[in-house]
Amino acid sequence: MAAAPRRGRPRIHGPEFSPESTWAELSRNIREIQNHKASTLSFEENHRYAYNMVLYKQGDMLYRGVKRLVMENLESLAKEEIIPAFPTGTTDPIMQNTEEEVLLKALRKVWDDHKSNMVRLGQILKYMDRVHTKSAQVPTTNEMGLELFLSHIMKNPIKEHIVTAILNQIRHERDGNVINRSAVKECVDVFQSLQYENTPTATIYKRDLEPPLLEASRAFYQKEGQELATTCTTPEFLILVEARFEAEQSRTHHYLSSQTSHPLLQILKDTLLDPHIENVIAKESGLDSMIDNNKTSDLSRLFRLCQKIGKGLKCLESSLKKSIVRRGQEINAASTGDEFGEPDAEGKETEQSTKGKGKARPPKASGIEPAINWVQEVLNLKDKFDVVWKTCFESNRAIESAYNDAFGTFVNQNEKCSEFISLFIDDHLKRGLKGKSDVEVDVILDKTITIFRFISEKDVFERYYKGHLAKRLLQGKSISDDAERGMLAKFKVEQGIQFTQKMEGMFNDMKISADMTKEYLEHVAKTTAPEIELNVTVMTSNAWPMTHSASKCLLPPKMSEACQSFQHFYLGRHQGRRLTWQFSLGNADVIARFKSKTHELNVSTFALVILLLFEDLGDGDTLGYSEIKQNTEIDEPELKRHLQSLACAKYKILKKHPPGRDINPNDTFSFNIDFSCPMKKIKIGTISSKVESNEERKETIDRVEDERKYQMEACIVRIMKGRKKMTHNDLVHEVTQQLTSKFMPEPLAIKKRIEGLIERDYLQRCDDRKSYEYLLCSFLSKALDISRSLISSPCKVRKELTFCLCLPNLGIPVKPAHMLLSTDIVSLVEN
Amino acid sequence: MPMATSEYTTAALATNKEGWVRLQSTDGFSYLVKRKVAQASGTIRNMLDPEGGYAEALNGVCEIQERGIIVEKLVEYMSFKTYYESINTKDEIPLNEFLERIPPEIILELYVSRLDVL
Repeated sequence: MAAAPRRGRPRIHGPEFSPESTWAELSRNIREIQNHKASTLSFEENHRYAYNMVLYKQGDMLYRGVKRLVMENLESLAKEEIIPAFPTGTTDPIMQNTEEEVLLKALRKVWDDHKSNMVRLGQILKYMDRVHTKSAQVPTTNEMGLELFLSHIMKNPIKEHIVTAILNQIRHERDGNVINRSAVKECVDVFQSLQYENTPTATIYKRDLEPPLLEASRAFYQKEGQELATTCTTPEFLILVEARFEAEQSRTHHYLSSQTSHPLLQILKDTLLDPHIENVIAKESGLDSMIDNNKTSDLSRLFRLCQKIGKGLKCLESSLKKSIVRRGQEINAASTGDEFGEPDAEGKETEQSTKGKGKARPPKASGIEPAINWVQEVLNLKDKFDVVWKTCFESNRAIESAYNDAFGTFVNQNEKCSEFISLFIDDHLKRGLKGKSDVEVDVILDKTITIFRFISEKDVFERYYKGHLAKRLLQGKSISDDAERGMLAKFKVEQGIQFTQKMEGMFNDMKISADMTKEYLEHVAKTTAPEIELNVTVMTSNAWPMTHSASKCLLPPKMSEACQSFQHFYLGRHQGRRLTWQFSLGNADVIARFKSKTHELNVSTFALVILLLFEDLGDGDTLGYSEIKQNTEIDEPELKRHLQSLACAKYKILKKHPPGRDINPNDTFSFNIDFSCPMKKIKIGTISSKVESNEERKETIDRVEDERKYQMEACIVRIMKGRKKMTHNDLVHEVTQQLTSKFMPEPLAIKKRIEGLIERDYLQRCDDRKSYEYLLCSFLSKALDISRSLISSPCKVRKELTFCLCLPNLGIPVKPAHMLLSTDIVSLVEN
Repeated sequence: MPMATSEYTTAALATNKEGWVRLQSTDGFSYLVKRKVAQASGTIRNMLDPEGGYAEALNGVCEIQERGIIVEKLVEYMSFKTYYESINTKDEIPLNEFLERIPPEIILELYVSRLDVL
């Protein structure tokens, strides 16, 4: 039994209390406590001593006495435990490491000792804390303990050695050595639990340890960053840097303060990433090679690191852009290279002839190859980057828009992008269903839409697409109506109803024409049927992209009879319409008897007209080129083209004298009665879509330019009508904004249009020379004027015009433009 | 738990398990009370704190410098307090009944001891 209860002690309430003897007892016991012998002491007794001293107004003596005892104890602890553990200045890193660990542990031991002592003292001095310290305005026992520790242990040189030791330990660990993390942590905890100025955030850690720690880290990583950037490849660099980030994070988590985490990581960003990221991305082993080799994990890492710093993503974006544009330009170059190869070859052939365009040659699939290849390459590129975007860049929006920018840039750098894409779609809708399921084709077309989005000149695309669509419809080549309509729906979603209106009109015409033909056939069956069975497609003139001047052709009587019959029937049903026959777009089935057997030939209308010239001739008789020309009145280039397809192509229905690939004015032709072919049905000389020659391109562009003029004028008038008065800059801005979805109008071009409109009295300049005014009345009179010229030419502006004209209802009868129809013959069938 | 006190804690835990402590008066009476009840007094709680590791904490025996009758009343009060603290009653705490149970002759002594002990 340790502290035996002592009976017969002086009564506490009695007068025989002596502060000196009480303190002598108590101080002896406190020393015992400091020697870890509290278990031999009675709490009750010591508590009573302290209690009595405070009760008898000796609190001050007690307080000062305790303070002195604690001080003495601390100093002796420092002397015994810490000073001997001071570093010896050895240079051996392993020894250093051990020494530092010992020092840190010593400090921790002193701290633990001191703390548990203070807890015990606090317990027996509770009454003093409650009563004396408050009135004397001195810190409580516990606070006093911390203050004394601060002033007697956490002072130089001890503090200096400790801080250095901690920094060295961290450095050892950064260098890849193993350290005793818990020793460091325990020491850091001491720093963190010590406060100064009694504010919880003002810890000694913040004041004395963190600043040198950050400084050392900065120096270390600055050096490291430079080393890594010069010696490592990009993937290595990324791996090492990311490892550093993780290591520092775990370091702050495990044995430093979480408050340090942020500034420390900031240092890493400033020293490792910020100065080097651009170089690292641009390196030979950088972004490009990572994308080439599908290094998804490296790319994800790059993205993660780039996200950490402000300029990182921007840097990544611009590098991606550069990479995409470079790849895209390679694709562009490859496709134009292909084309240059081909016209050259054609050029050689055509040199011999007078001026054939090489078009009369049998259609070759290779004609559209550059277009298909180009689109396919672009799609592949897009796929590749999309995969990277999804797997590595976490579908980041900013990067997506960088992608779009880049793709838009290089796609539009290819002048033929619109044509190529349209051809690609054409190709897929024509024969794509072979070998590919509907779903696959749909996926490809969906992807094509993504490229379509990149085109800035949508109106050019619209023109090409309409052309290709018209050919598909008229020649019945489109595989499925559903696929066509699906495509239109996609365009509608992308560009709005206006974009597809005309195309839908084309579909409508096809349907109406089919019904009409049926009715017509029923009609003629009842009355006088012409010898030729006739299928007619009636096309609304403003919906179809065909030239509207009728191609000349002298039809043989049988055919013209049939035409007349239909015309009569049609006009009988629809009054006030005009039909213009487009023979160049039609085709015909004809049964021809050769020596060996009879064949069914599918030829164009023109070719049929030519063939019919030979019908009444003897076997060996010939016709000269000029004779044919005279008898058919077909335009020379067209005639040549068709003669070529009949006489020089794979199936030689006609014999040319002298034989050769090209048609000369002196050639003569005869029916090739010896013709033989294993197939019963033969298709001859259809015009296949292919990449336009330069001349055709120029023509298309001119037409697009013309159309843009109308669109700009319409747009200007529409805006001015609403605003009445506007400054030049505002007007140009507004026009640009409204037309951007179709094409990018040049300010200069807009200015020209404005001038044109002023000349024609639609607008007038205001006195300030900066604004324009809208002139309503004179516009109306002029509108009637131009309506006449516009009505016969196919252009979108007509819709605008109708709108303009209808608005001021002044009783002027204006016939809506779309009532005017031109109708075209398409199919002739001879039995 | 800091290392320095670990040698005491095993002993302290041993007494802890029982959950009972002994309160001794100056005239030789001793009262076995639940540890939880004894800790209703701040001083006794400190006394029994294993972190302090004083003799009382090790033995589970606390000497109270009062006569048995006073200690008995103190124990009764501590039980009373612990009971009404632990149950969440909305009824009025029967404090008057408790006060009526205090014999008038020990009231002064009890009052002083309350200052000392509680």
